[in-house]
Amino acid sequence: MDQMIFAGVTLAKIVLVMAVVLLTVAFLTLAERKVLSWMQDRMGPMEVGPYGILQPLADGLKLFFKEDIVPAGANKLLFSLAPILSFVPALIGFAVIPYGPNKEIELFGYTIRPFVITDINIGILYILAFTSIGAYGIILGGWASNNKYSLLGGLRAAAQVISYELNIGLAIIGVLILSGSLSMVKIAEAQAGGFWHWHIFGGLQIIGFVVYVISAVAETNRLPFDLPEAESELVAGWMTEYSGMRFAFFFMAEYTNMVLVSCIAAVLFFGGWQPAFPKTIVEYLGFPNLAWAESVFFWFPLKVYFFLFLFFWLRATLPRLRYDQLMRFGWKVMLPLALANVLLTSIAVFFFRQ
Amino acid sequence: MAEPTMTMTQWVKRLTFYEILVGMRATLSVFVHRIILRNRRAVTLQYPHEKRDLPGTYRGMIALLRYDDLSEKCVGCDLCEAACPSRVITVISAEKEGEPMKRYAKEYSMDMTRCIFCGLCVKACPVDALAMTTEYEWAVYNKRDLLLNKQQLLALGDRNFPEREKKIELQHHNVTFFNIGHQDLPVMTSQEPPVTP
Repeated sequence: MDQMIFAGVTLAKIVLVMAVVLLTVAFLTLAERKVLSWMQDRMGPMEVGPYGILQPLADGLKLFFKEDIVPAGANKLLFSLAPILSFVPALIGFAVIPYGPNKEIELFGYTIRPFVITDINIGILYILAFTSIGAYGIILGGWASNNKYSLLGGLRAAAQVISYELNIGLAIIGVLILSGSLSMVKIAEAQAGGFWHWHIFGGLQIIGFVVYVISAVAETNRLPFDLPEAESELVAGWMTEYSGMRFAFFFMAEYTNMVLVSCIAAVLFFGGWQPAFPKTIVEYLGFPNLAWAESVFFWFPLKVYFFLFLFFWLRATLPRLRYDQLMRFGWKVMLPLALANVLLTSIAVFFFRQ
Repeated sequence: MAEPTMTMTQWVKRLTFYEILVGMRATLSVFVHRIILRNRRAVTLQYPHEKRDLPGTYRGMIALLRYDDLSEKCVGCDLCEAACPSRVITVISAEKEGEPMKRYAKEYSMDMTRCIFCGLCVKACPVDALAMTTEYEWAVYNKRDLLLNKQQLLALGDRNFPEREKKIELQHHNVTFFNIGHQDLPVMTSQEPPVTP
């Protein structure tokens, strides 16, 4: 019976998180178009609903009812598998993100942890492992399409994702050393007590943070690192032959990855749900019972949406890199910086923690 | 990375992503002016809802005109057909009944799918029977709908040029070559020049 209750509660949490994430993804497409147009003296979508806020629904309906074309000569199995392979790993990562304080609630005699789906002790490793599988979706999609542009996009994605995943892995090691844990919950808890305790400021992980953000942009194939997609060179890269819902899956995978990467950045470097002061604002006002609500509904979204805005901001500003620049930047600049960060952090921790 | 000409400031700028930050400040300032300060407007014209003011010389759809007594101006001279670089115009001219010297366009059709809107036909017309309107919303589902016959071209002229030219014989000096029937010639008085509008 206990297991049944546990499974039910976990399922409810999964459904809730899935719903919120997919809703965020849907309106992220609109937010991106709006922010980009505001930065470029345009208006963005204005037709569907007031100020175009129903545009995601229209887009979704359109994609849902579109003809689903599988090109002749395509490998049907891999062609169908690729969108799933890129979308599912992106969603799986949200299982270990802490959305709020890790406190236990007694409900009808059962203890539940409402703000994290599951706290596994290798959380960040788990996310990294699954996002690597997402690269297979891109590569297989590019290969299975039987199209030269798709193949080129897939090849580029393979090289790019592998190069930059290495940097992500190295950039977060400093944080892991400082928190002494791979669990996302423990990492967030280690940064309690004001913004000067966050790893980016308190742990002096600024290099690691910069390397992480740049590599994360490259990892999610966003501008200025969108070489696998590269409209002006490769039509749409690995997505060229995809249409209808399969294309929508790739599209959602890209945005879900953005949200996931932003959540990780918020948890690792900006303290996750931790407020910027030693206590939350409602605690200062005298409502300590509502502190969790402020963390969940204000501080965590604030940090995540800041990073999402950063994605749009970078896209509005920077042109696409050339392929050799991308590789040189990844291997000759980012990698040494990340390694130096690991070295310096470990030396500092060795001397100051003793 | 190790160019010998690289100075210290260049190094610092490269390390701190100085140029990128300058660019990001530029985009952010536009954003702030648009959304927060509200002192910057989009250049977008919401097309179907709001439209541009077109200059009077805009070269849109071509129309056939009438005189104020609703007779067609066209004299069927074929000069527009000759002037057209993309062979849009087809004119079949015929004699006016009862007036052997007067001619008119029995059939007049324009294939607007080919028209490049150069306006040479309007220039070529000796009696100013052709004009360019400011109409441009002529997207159709069927390509054949752009093959305009004389009635359609006249209708275009009627709705775009409600003020019609007064019909006077000899109103244009070229008219003498094309539009003179020997029946109702007005009496020429001495050395008066031909009346022009």
